[in-house]
Amino acid sequence: MTWAWLIPVLSFAAAPLIVVAGRFLPGKGSFLAILAIAAGFGLFWLTLSGFLEANTSTEGCARIVSAETGKESGPLTCQYEKTWFYAGLPGLEDSVELTWGILIDPVTVVMLGLVTFVALMVQVYSLGYMRGDPKFGWYYAVHALFAASMLTLVLADNFLLLYVSWELVGACSYLLIGFWHERPAAREAAKKAFVVTRIGDVGMLVGILLLWREVGSFEMSAAFEAVRNGAIGEGTATAAALLLFLGAMGKSAQFPFHVWLPDAMEGPTPVSALIHAATMVVAGVYLVARAYPIFEASGSALLVVAIIGLLTALMSSTIALVSTDLKRILAYSTISHLGLMMLSLGAFGYTAAVFHLLAHGFAKALLFLGAGSVLHSTEEQDVRNMGGLRRVMPLTTIVFSIGALSLGGIPILSGFWSKDEILLAVSQHRNVVFLILTLVTAFLSALYMARAMFVPFFGQLPAKLEHVHDAPPSMAVPMALLAVLAVGFGFLAFNWPGEYVGFGGFVFDAKPHGFEFLVWLGAISIVLAVVAFAIGYVLYIRGAYRSERERAGKSGLVKMVESKYYIDEVYQWTIDRLVLIFANFIGLFDRAVVNDLAVNGPANTVRHVGIALRVHITGHVYSYALGMVAGTLVVAVIWWIVAG
Amino acid sequence: MSPVGPLLTATVFLPAVGALVILAFARSDRSVRTWALAVALVDLVLSLLVFSMFDRSDGAARFQFVEQFSWFSVDTFKASYLLGVDGLSAPLVALTGLLGICAILASWHVDVRVREHYIWLLVLQTSVMGVFTSLDLLLFFLFWELELVPMYMLISIWGAGRKEYSAMKFLIFTLLGSAFMLVAIVAVFLTPEIGTFNMIELSQAGTMLSGGVLIPLASLFWMFFIAFAIKLPTWPVHTWLPDAHTDAPTAASVMLAGVLLKMGGYGLLRINVGMFPDQAEQYAWVLVALGVISVLYGAVVTIRQTDLKRLIAYSSVSHMGLVMLGIGSIGITQGTLTSAGLNGAAMQLFTHGTITGLLFLATGLIYDKAHTRYIPDLGGVAGRMPIVATAFLIAGLASLGLPGLSGFVSEVLVFLGAFRAYPWPTALAVLGIVLAAGYILWMMERAFFGRPRERFADLTDANLVEAAPLVLLVITIVGIGVYPALLTEVFEIGLEPMIRVLNGGG
Repeated sequence: MTWAWLIPVLSFAAAPLIVVAGRFLPGKGSFLAILAIAAGFGLFWLTLSGFLEANTSTEGCARIVSAETGKESGPLTCQYEKTWFYAGLPGLEDSVELTWGILIDPVTVVMLGLVTFVALMVQVYSLGYMRGDPKFGWYYAVHALFAASMLTLVLADNFLLLYVSWELVGACSYLLIGFWHERPAAREAAKKAFVVTRIGDVGMLVGILLLWREVGSFEMSAAFEAVRNGAIGEGTATAAALLLFLGAMGKSAQFPFHVWLPDAMEGPTPVSALIHAATMVVAGVYLVARAYPIFEASGSALLVVAIIGLLTALMSSTIALVSTDLKRILAYSTISHLGLMMLSLGAFGYTAAVFHLLAHGFAKALLFLGAGSVLHSTEEQDVRNMGGLRRVMPLTTIVFSIGALSLGGIPILSGFWSKDEILLAVSQHRNVVFLILTLVTAFLSALYMARAMFVPFFGQLPAKLEHVHDAPPSMAVPMALLAVLAVGFGFLAFNWPGEYVGFGGFVFDAKPHGFEFLVWLGAISIVLAVVAFAIGYVLYIRGAYRSERERAGKSGLVKMVESKYYIDEVYQWTIDRLVLIFANFIGLFDRAVVNDLAVNGPANTVRHVGIALRVHITGHVYSYALGMVAGTLVVAVIWWIVAG
Repeated sequence: MSPVGPLLTATVFLPAVGALVILAFARSDRSVRTWALAVALVDLVLSLLVFSMFDRSDGAARFQFVEQFSWFSVDTFKASYLLGVDGLSAPLVALTGLLGICAILASWHVDVRVREHYIWLLVLQTSVMGVFTSLDLLLFFLFWELELVPMYMLISIWGAGRKEYSAMKFLIFTLLGSAFMLVAIVAVFLTPEIGTFNMIELSQAGTMLSGGVLIPLASLFWMFFIAFAIKLPTWPVHTWLPDAHTDAPTAASVMLAGVLLKMGGYGLLRINVGMFPDQAEQYAWVLVALGVISVLYGAVVTIRQTDLKRLIAYSSVSHMGLVMLGIGSIGITQGTLTSAGLNGAAMQLFTHGTITGLLFLATGLIYDKAHTRYIPDLGGVAGRMPIVATAFLIAGLASLGLPGLSGFVSEVLVFLGAFRAYPWPTALAVLGIVLAAGYILWMMERAFFGRPRERFADLTDANLVEAAPLVLLVITIVGIGVYPALLTEVFEIGLEPMIRVLNGGG
């Protein structure tokens, strides 16, 4: 496992190669990126098997040892690091050592699997989708960099390296969302994504600085140890956790930082698939999961996480219900599911969150690739103009439906199991209000998924869409593979006979938290999902057009939801009315007060005094003589008064 | 004397000698350019030699390549010609060499009074090199003042807009600071107990300036501080910078942002921290306050700029605030100071030099071809000038602190150091990175991206001469970003003695 660092490095190496040499290579060098990520996927399996065989005697691997009892607990964690540079002389006691280090524990391993697999699928799919684009090579170069950054992020063993890759992920998403920068909307969206997430990053950076100040190291294990043995008090832990969570809110599009994600669909659709499923947005959830010991130390921080998560999930699932753009529906669905993951983390459902992250990742990648296939052949994004596509795009319809049903929580598909685990965590650790609202969200998420599935693919096929064709093989194969996972991934959760202890067992390892299933909760969730899809069928297949068209602008409530609760407007107002006017004011202040008054003022005074004095420098002997006489007289008078 | 002869003297005076040669022998503009390029190239090699031959091993002398000749003495007082570099100045010498050649290449298209232009550029390089290498207060001051003349000429002759006003403003501001510095130097001179201008002795442990100074040490500290704060510049004495940058020709902007500002930061580190450690520690909060104000104020003003050069100039005010903040990290640490903050400040000097140098070079190219720097009039330039746009994008991302590029390293080090001593002000300053992302990306969006405009249809990308300095700086920015130890280790060697003094050690 010591060589697991190769996984990101291969993709890192591919990126500059494609930029420099891509134009001379077949396929503009795209195969380099695909080879690198495919090798990464292969290495993931090696890492997995290495990790399953490893134990505490393996080099670099250890479990947490309790100080009092001497017992080992927690998952096996393997850490390997190299020095990057010192702030301070090497060896000096007070110098800060900054390292490149990798940390492999179960969460890292499963994330490696998700990222390499989805990135590989998306890159293969893009061969067909991006064919003929003038910046084909550049696209693959940034893709490689994107995957490499995300892989570094999940491998990082210290907060600084995590922050480094975190920012690189942000920069790559900026470049990819703004890939078609000729379109103003794409430019806007790219900038918005970067700036909004950066607001969260400020919190995260301050949180990292705070941890460093308290712990004296960037290493996560050191920070966790300090939390465990009480070197960091609860107040500091709360502050650090909430600051880190700010960063996670930005990246994982939690309210009120969610505004960038729906706009981010301006990028090419495969990019959306990558951003929504495997890179970028899951980084926030991953961060909270990774820094979980710090969050666990503070009950109030976890409560905040749960509330923000629930609020986000609820808000965005209502918006998803009324959006008319296929990709936007999927985007709000992503926000809603990210909210559920956060809620789960906030309800001590660590395993459930990670599990849902993966299940959602496969299903959402599938849905976006399916949507991409639709857009690719129909060049249409508005669901109101679609319908009956199942007749012309059978494969896309099947895989899209699998993804939708899975995320909607229909039993035996993977989304059902993971959603159920979340409900379980919420019911056990949070009060009944949380549970009811979570169930409402689950219902809504099934309903909007039904809508996203029924409206475009079922019902009447418009005449102008009769010519469209299904996806070419390079796009079809990745979708099919993802569909298999969207169906079957959930079975990993069971307690299989034999050594395997289920997903929870793997992630928690030493304290087996095997698969649990509450019958009444499961029953409610099944009923809700099935009812939602049934309602969807009635609403959207019987008169999909009518219900979609007539709804617009009916009631105030619907209007508010359709306007996305005016959150974008609030941002715009804040920027226009507060930030820019404040900037104008300061700019004016800088010119008028600091420059003109304080700088030019004295300069002008000197000049005017000079001009005034110049009048008296006449150069005529008689005026000087007059001055002398007058002066002498004045002195004489004063003398006479003072002395006399 | 160094093992390779008077290396520093050669590095410092080669450009000036080159200027004389050009004055005497170069006939055509073409030969002027060739000569200047050759001189700058050799000087770059010399400065890189200084940097790479600097002995980093344990127990190596603090100041190396030292050259000393007695200059004059009055009574017991001796002024000498004393050159030398330590870990703090060696990288800055290399930076000067690097930006020097960039400035020469950036002036390739100048067609008015070509000979003079290059002569002034070379004299400028000599004077800046002199500031970074002289270890005698009087010599330091001489080079410090010498630098004003060529810069004044460059702005007022080859500039644009209100160039005379800007040049004069630059001159008066700096001279005002110099006046304070001169008073401080005279005070040192008039104090018999000190009896030396030798900066090596002055900056040794326990401060040589301890007893019987004519005026209180704190006021000496502040007089030096004013001179360096103006040069840096810090809020509220920054207003000369936007004007000077906006109206200066490209080469002068590159030198101004790249190395002249760094003289201020260097002076703060070398003299204010190095020679007045007690005062520096006592008044660190003032530096922090000024630093945080500069960072935020500069960034807020930057957002609303519509002229590319003015925008970069204001962003420099913001970024130089980080230098102040990093130096301010020496406050209230009670003998447990780590080097992160000071190293970050020193790194920021270098990285900002390369990043802003690159931004100005790219802006200069755009201005030459598109004939406008007004951001709303640009737009879609990236399509026509991919090389320039890519260089600009890399510099912009470095400027907003993207990891993997050099700006991030210095920023993080500054924050690390300052956060230990002053958590709340530092947390405020971190907000600057959002504003930076805002103004950099907004500028990129409006000036570079989008559909190319009709009237830019015949824009051409950078040719070989124009692209060379861009590539040079991009390599530096990426190289330092990926492997910062190249610089941090050297800076560390220079800063370590200062930190030992600050921590109360010997």
